[in-house]
Amino acid sequence: MAFDIDRYTATSVSVNWDDLDLEGFRDDPLPPASLRTLRYMADVEYHTVCYTRDLLTTPSHREADVSAFMTMWNREEFWHGEALAAVLAMHDITVDYDVLKASRLKLGWKDRLDPIKQSVLGSLVGADFVAVHMSWGAANEWSAITAYQRMAELEEHPVLAELLRRIAKQEARHVAFYTSQARERLAASTKAQKVTRFALSRFWAPVGSSINSTEDVRHVMTHLMSGPEGRRAARKVDESISGMPGLQGLTIVQDALDELGVPA
Amino acid sequence: MTRSPSTEPAEPAEFDVRAFARTAHGSLRDDLDLEAVAASPLAPDLVAVLAALATLEGATMAHLRNVLVTNTHKDARVTAFLVTWAFEKFWIADALRAIVDVSAGASTGQGAGSAGGEPPLHTGTAVSGGAASGGRGPVRRAFAGITQGWAVIGAHMAVGLVDDRMLGTAYARVAESSTSATLDAAVARIVAVKERHTRFFEEEVQRRLTASPRAARLARRELRRTAWPLGAAALTAEQRAAFSRFAYGGPEGDARVVELERGIGSLPGMDARTAAIVRRGLAGRRAA
Repeated sequence: MAFDIDRYTATSVSVNWDDLDLEGFRDDPLPPASLRTLRYMADVEYHTVCYTRDLLTTPSHREADVSAFMTMWNREEFWHGEALAAVLAMHDITVDYDVLKASRLKLGWKDRLDPIKQSVLGSLVGADFVAVHMSWGAANEWSAITAYQRMAELEEHPVLAELLRRIAKQEARHVAFYTSQARERLAASTKAQKVTRFALSRFWAPVGSSINSTEDVRHVMTHLMSGPEGRRAARKVDESISGMPGLQGLTIVQDALDELGVPA
Repeated sequence: MTRSPSTEPAEPAEFDVRAFARTAHGSLRDDLDLEAVAASPLAPDLVAVLAALATLEGATMAHLRNVLVTNTHKDARVTAFLVTWAFEKFWIADALRAIVDVSAGASTGQGAGSAGGEPPLHTGTAVSGGAASGGRGPVRRAFAGITQGWAVIGAHMAVGLVDDRMLGTAYARVAESSTSATLDAAVARIVAVKERHTRFFEEEVQRRLTASPRAARLARRELRRTAWPLGAAALTAEQRAAFSRFAYGGPEGDARVVELERGIGSLPGMDARTAAIVRRGLAGRRAA
């Protein structure tokens, strides 16, 4: 079923947590390992505007539906960052504008070159490059939903679980957009399928890998995706990705976990 | 290695970006009496101007692209503002398009307006790549951004401020021309939403261009090189010309342009030459 962009934009809201008792974390705090994972997630959410930058340098930005989606998506993801930062604040961990700026500063030359690289690749590949971005976005959003669900299950903290459930619900609509775009573009072009398959299999890494240390990525993936349940969750994401035209057999999430040494 | 932001203003900003984001204005349709517009359609030339304004307000992604490939993307406070700014402008564009659709539909006896239904939502403004860049694509801007450093943020804030003032002039002209209470109310609503954008840009321009001669220099250069108003690349040449004639044409238009030019010239570090170039660059202005 085609994604209804008008309905999405009309119903896009910032995630709300006014009714949740975050003060309860003062008496029942999350353990340090969980806070480290939450911090990682907040960084990823806040970094959406920078991912948007890379998307905008490619042919993606010229399309009205994509433009509308990115406007709402950016805002929703920003508020996911704010929500997670609010939980971290209850643990006296500050993630404010200055902290985020400092994190972005640390990214160095790779960050400066990313939009150049994306733009050049977009020009070389042409319109089919949009399929890469949409498939990549789908993989990232599926991973994000899985991460939030796993975190909620593992922590068994009712307030956190409810907040993560609300965030995951919004991420589900992002998945729907990216997936519908990816499917349509991949189905229409074998070149798009080949380029996307190559890009995902060679370069995809868990969302947040480009802005966090390998140690942090390993920590988060080990925290959330270890053991049989973690692998089952990873397999489900891979099945969703490989179910798209031309991507049969891809196991990019499980491969990434293996590479990180996350125990199955 | 990234240089430390030594050109950053010393004094803290007063504009509360978090509060702005928290109270962002979404759809304005509940504030629009579209039935009244359908019952009494607007004049075609006014509808054309509103359509142009809708395109201009909706053309945020192309501008964001040009801005985010530079150091501006690293300033989390500025990006937080821009995310909400883009959201609010999307809904301003939607409100304008709703009025256009209903009025145009009522005039022709076709479309959602005349049938009594709501006009469809519109998606964002699409802008062709080269035109949106104003001749400077993302690669070129990204490379330039490497040497521009933090000072480029001030330049982008100046562009945002001048664009707001240009569109503000157009909205004032629409209000002057309007004989529709519904349109008057819609324009007032839109202007109220945009007031916070202007206030943010004004403060940032004052802080950054006062603190840094380099930022002021980059701002002068950016203002001279920008195709005005932002998003004009999404309009046809005829639409740009018609828009400029409406907003800046005639003796009243001359006065507004002089006022715009004076305002630009009075910004920190700005010079008369830059202000004059911006005035001349108002897209499709009436022939001299």
